[in-house]
Amino acid sequence: MAKGPWTVLGPAVGSQTADAIKRRYLMSFVMLGCIFGPIFAVVVGVQLKVGEIGPLLGRAMDAFSVFAAQRGAPVWVVPAASFLVPCLILAVLFNLAPVVVIWLELKIAAHIQVRMGPMWVGRFHGILQPVADGLKLMLKEDIVPAEADRWIHYLAPVVVLVPAFVAYAPVSFGPRLVGIDLDTGTLFVMAVSGLSTLGLLMAGWASQNKYSALGGLRAAAQTVSYEIPRVLSLLPVVMWAGTLSLSGIARAQEGLWMGILPKWFIFYPGIGLIAYVIYFICTVAETNRTPFDIAEAESELVSGFNTEYSGMKFALFFLAEYAYVFLGAAVGTDLFFGGGSAPWNFLRFIPSYVWFIAKTLGQVFLIILVRWTYPRIRVDRLMEFCWKFLVPWSLVNVALAGALILWRAR
Amino acid sequence: MISYFTNIYAVTLGLLKGLKVTLAHLFQPALTVQYPYEKLTVSERFRGALAFHPETCISCDMCVRACPSDCISLEAKRNEATGKKDLLWYKIDFAKCNFCRLCEEICPTKPKAVHHTREYELTFTSREDFVVRWTPDVPQPKGSEPGQVWSKFLTKGQKLGPNPGVPASTTGSKPVAQI
Repeated sequence: MAKGPWTVLGPAVGSQTADAIKRRYLMSFVMLGCIFGPIFAVVVGVQLKVGEIGPLLGRAMDAFSVFAAQRGAPVWVVPAASFLVPCLILAVLFNLAPVVVIWLELKIAAHIQVRMGPMWVGRFHGILQPVADGLKLMLKEDIVPAEADRWIHYLAPVVVLVPAFVAYAPVSFGPRLVGIDLDTGTLFVMAVSGLSTLGLLMAGWASQNKYSALGGLRAAAQTVSYEIPRVLSLLPVVMWAGTLSLSGIARAQEGLWMGILPKWFIFYPGIGLIAYVIYFICTVAETNRTPFDIAEAESELVSGFNTEYSGMKFALFFLAEYAYVFLGAAVGTDLFFGGGSAPWNFLRFIPSYVWFIAKTLGQVFLIILVRWTYPRIRVDRLMEFCWKFLVPWSLVNVALAGALILWRAR
Repeated sequence: MISYFTNIYAVTLGLLKGLKVTLAHLFQPALTVQYPYEKLTVSERFRGALAFHPETCISCDMCVRACPSDCISLEAKRNEATGKKDLLWYKIDFAKCNFCRLCEEICPTKPKAVHHTREYELTFTSREDFVVRWTPDVPQPKGSEPGQVWSKFLTKGQKLGPNPGVPASTTGSKPVAQI
């Protein structure tokens, strides 16, 4: 095989000719250029013309209220619109983000296993595969087991999905890009996403299936335990920022240390990194993904709590899982990576939502990589890891953060 | 106390090593071949579909007798003028063929009148299609063209990859393969 820049990327594979590998690499670079070149150009162009989306929406809202007042519309039109528009944007995002995450998961999983994954639907690398899967699941027969508790069986996917949707509300996607800027945003996200456990328990109970029941109980035990270090790991961040609002915490991370390192909380000496690692582990555990997927362990419990679910109801569980993956990464971006702010000033021309999505997708990539790397851990070890390792260390972390704050205030 | 921390360090190192392995595989080119659009070249002595050349055949019945699965049949007529046999028809039932190459080995003509090609796309959509029938008038019967099954499923603008299994000349009526 001829030497070239592509040789550093990986070894030649026996069944392929050197030319095929070279062509594939060149094609992938051309493809990446074709995708990101226009996006970059559009982003820069849009940025020069109109600026950030948040202020733009604000200006559009002002124009709309002036227009409504001139035309003599009823008084409730403007407040209603100011409620509905963010709701619509959130709804679109909530449906779009899992689709993107599912596609990423399919492709990354395939390439880790030296496969290609979906290549056909949507013509470009199977980009529409999640949409096709969703349509297929919607059209499938809805099967309820004869012995099942029908109402609870029907309600369980909804109870799992709705908190995932509600928890997106206080997440700040950039300056002024917030569904509702709650003062207790962090607490709200943690509390509401914890409610989904109830849905998993309902699904496990209502299916009248021993595997489902075991899966539901395991899910409840696991998510309730991992909720504790997850919240505790966020305490140092909240203590430093002095606020629970997600946009407030994102704003508190502006500026540079010694003119080089951005003041993101993950770069706070030691404590920030430990807090982020604990948060990341607990996020993976909360979403029931592979190193911690004992709730739906295929090799032990068939499929755990969703064994008896098919069609649309299974799709809702699936959507909720990926919505939580994106939510965990988005909250991590707000809390540890400075939200939508650019790391350095010369990168300011890229708008905040691009930064936010880039940081979030980076974390999503890490979550997917973790899933396809590690084997599942045993139930007792899972609990031991949480109670004997994560909880003490997050408490130590809180104490260290308090000491640091006191020392700085002295 | 010290062992607790060294343990944490060792475990973290091991976990990171695992991530490194998967990351390295992520950037390897995939082994997958996108089948109908890309095709693998099979080995030179691969026993694929049988090809038959009516103008070379001397109707000696050797292949019919050699065939262990009884998939070849032919009919010939004595030509009184030359004293030789003239082939009327020659049939191979690909549903029965077990690709053993005995017919090709026994074939006395030079070049071989019946021989394997490297064509492996032998999918048929009905039981009757499996029986391919050659006559002196129809040296390339319907159903024995390469890629004929896939070409049914192509939509506008799609193209099959070049077929590496069959040299272009074997699809014609001229026998070339001499294995």
